Amino acid sequence: MPTPPFAQLLRQLPAGVATLEGAELRFGFVNEAMRELVGAHSEGKPLAEHRGSLPESLPGVLSQVLASGKPYTAKACACGPLPGSKDCRYFDLAAEPYHDDRGRVTGLLLLALDVTAQEEARQQAHELALTTRHLDARLRVLTETAPLISFSLDAGGRVTYVSPQWYRFTGQPPTADLTAIWPLLIHPDDRLRVLYQAEAARHAGTGWNHEYRLRRFDGQYRWMLSRALPEVHLPDPPVFWHGALTEIHDQREVAEALRRGEAELRFLADSIPELIWTANAHGLIDYYNQYTTAYSGLTKDELGPTGWVSLLYPEEQPAAARAWVESVTHGTTFEGEYRMRRHDGVYRWHVVRARLLADASGPRWFGACTDIDEHYRLHQVLQTQYDELARAHHDLDTFVYAASHDLKQPTLNLRGLFHELSQAATFHDPDQAVMLRLVDDELSTLEHTLRDLAATVRSQRAQQEPVEVLDLELLLEEVLLGLRPQILHGNAEVEINVTEAPGLLYSRANLRSVAHNLVSNALKFAHPDRPARITLRSYLTPDDHQPVLEVRDNGLGMELDNPDNPTFQLFARQHTHIEGTGVGLYLVQRIVRSQGGHLTVSSTPGEGTTFTIYWTRPE
Amino acid sequence: MKHIVYISRAVRPLSDDDLNALLSQSRHNNARDGVTGILFYSHGNIAQLFEADDAVADNLYERIARDGRHSHVQKLVDKPITSRSFGDWSMAFHPLEPQGFTTLQGFLLPHQVPPVPESLAIADALLVDLVRLAVFGPDPSQPYQHPVPAPLT
Ligand SMILES: Cc1cc2nc3c(=O)[nH]c(=O)nc-3n(C[C@H](O)[C@H](O)[C@H](O)COP(=O)(O)O)c2cc1C
Repeated sequence: MPTPPFAQLLRQLPAGVATLEGAELRFGFVNEAMRELVGAHSEGKPLAEHRGSLPESLPGVLSQVLASGKPYTAKACACGPLPGSKDCRYFDLAAEPYHDDRGRVTGLLLLALDVTAQEEARQQAHELALTTRHLDARLRVLTETAPLISFSLDAGGRVTYVSPQWYRFTGQPPTADLTAIWPLLIHPDDRLRVLYQAEAARHAGTGWNHEYRLRRFDGQYRWMLSRALPEVHLPDPPVFWHGALTEIHDQREVAEALRRGEAELRFLADSIPELIWTANAHGLIDYYNQYTTAYSGLTKDELGPTGWVSLLYPEEQPAAARAWVESVTHGTTFEGEYRMRRHDGVYRWHVVRARLLADASGPRWFGACTDIDEHYRLHQVLQTQYDELARAHHDLDTFVYAASHDLKQPTLNLRGLFHELSQAATFHDPDQAVMLRLVDDELSTLEHTLRDLAATVRSQRAQQEPVEVLDLELLLEEVLLGLRPQILHGNAEVEINVTEAPGLLYSRANLRSVAHNLVSNALKFAHPDRPARITLRSYLTPDDHQPVLEVRDNGLGMELDNPDNPTFQLFARQHTHIEGTGVGLYLVQRIVRSQGGHLTVSSTPGEGTTFTIYWTRPE
Repeated sequence: MKHIVYISRAVRPLSDDDLNALLSQSRHNNARDGVTGILFYSHGNIAQLFEADDAVADNLYERIARDGRHSHVQKLVDKPITSRSFGDWSMAFHPLEPQGFTTLQGFLLPHQVPPVPESLAIADALLVDLVRLAVFGPDPSQPYQHPVPAPLT
């Protein structure tokens, strides 16, 4: 038994100490720490009945230890109400047999050392190890299956890790010296740049992000994006860089193609000898081609987003600016003819056109200014000549009219004098009667010619006559009334049928002139063997509803070169034996054409003629 | 003497209070520094023309370009002028609560903005018309929502 100072010491020992005496293992000495395990008042009681928190199996085990006389230890035994619960504590238990004077085993010294903290730490470490292994596995799967190459470098630039994709991509053997071979796989044009950038980043302790071409297993160089970040543990400088390499070849190609496309378009636009520009959706110009700067002598900056307007003729600027704002507001096409100032101060006419078109980056204005100065000048010259001609023509008409008018009175006088003469004078000539009749005829012809010339000029003047809706029936009746003597004389029969198209939008004087000439023509060229039968019919063409006047007779008929588009010459006459000036049909044709219409003729010699007047131009 | 025109985008929509603060700050500074012109604002879209002595104008543009309230500041024109076209400095926008603003000095409703001064060159007048159209849309009496495209490169 321990003596008091030892007993004191043992009592205060932070490990549990107890003696278990005799075959029943009764508690003898129990120190403080052990008491916490087995409970108070255990002294003298057998272990089996006063086990406290000690493991259930312990009394059985210790009986065997007692019997065998060999020491026993159990590591990290769970002691407590519920092993594994929160209150559960862990103890290293040791049982040491002790002997009496004769060397017989009489009891056990039980030691219990609290290792709860260690055990918990161990268990946590175990769990941590499990999680780490799990994470590790996941990371490995990720790094080894993701479509990118991951890598690690140390501060000296040595490659310490590369994922298996690297070998698959490059086709290098697993034994390859990564640090040595990697730079050699980089495209020669990119190599120095990449090495320099990576080294600079390592020196500065920063990450990097650059693109380069890496040689693939098949020898092709593919564009890669390399990004890496340093692993930082402040305050120390970074020791490792971890990164990933992604293939971006296809994106690069597309971007490159787009850049090339843009560049090609610019090249094209710059090569065209026209002023070409583009503007954003708000009408602010963001691109002028080279020709624009060459033409204007201004830089792109001097031109600015709206500077084009200052190239215009000063008086034309406000209207052009307004028109542009208008186009931008509504997205409508801009078009106009403007004088634009060249670098030498000369203004040249341009037609300026701009349209809003949508491309991949949204709507933009595309504009072009085409030099039409030559055309414009030519046009001006032509216009002047045209004006002069028109004036000359007018003067000529006036002259003809005046002349025919002025000749009318002398002709009348001549006829009067001739009449007097033929009454009063006698001629000694057997052909006197014939001669007199010839002179009389010629005088009549002269009169008619003068009258018709005047009418022709009048009809030309009448081209701009006002149009109105005419009642055809009424108007044709009027015309027939004017021709009554001829109708009666020829015993002619004239029929008017306007039920299909009773009205017509036309100038009254022109229509009267056309009808008068056609009917009098039909009367004049009546067949000698039969009385004239003339029908006037107004109708609409079946297919496009054009108003038409048809004048049909049963007269002499005529020879036609081109019945669908006949041309009648002034003073040309078909039937020379019949009096007339040949002005009538020419006049009709002129009037009809001047109003946009046309006429056709069909005729059978000896049977009759049909004139068809199409009043309007078909749409 | 020069004038500068720029467009920009507010970083976030400016509230009535933001606009009020900008108006009084700028009115105060501009009156002091001899800056005249006009600012258009609608739904985050900003356009401004200002006129001042060269050094003042350059300095102001520097400050404005660095201002964190907006970004994508794009200078459209920066050129010498012989005389001012604006009598003072004002700001046109649609407040959510217009009552408080109508009496403020230098505030204009967008449809009350007077026509572009005659004294501006046609090209500059056209520019002001176009940026006003870009900010307020075809009908300035109605608030107008649309993005001004990012500045060109
Ligand atoms: C869109 C916009 C327009 C501005 N316009 C002006 C201006 O015209 N005048 C001005 O002094 N400050 C203007 N500012 C403010 C300046 O950016 C800057 O904040 C101010 O000039 C600072 O001067 P302060 O602190 O002395 O007032 C503007 C800011 C923004 C965002």
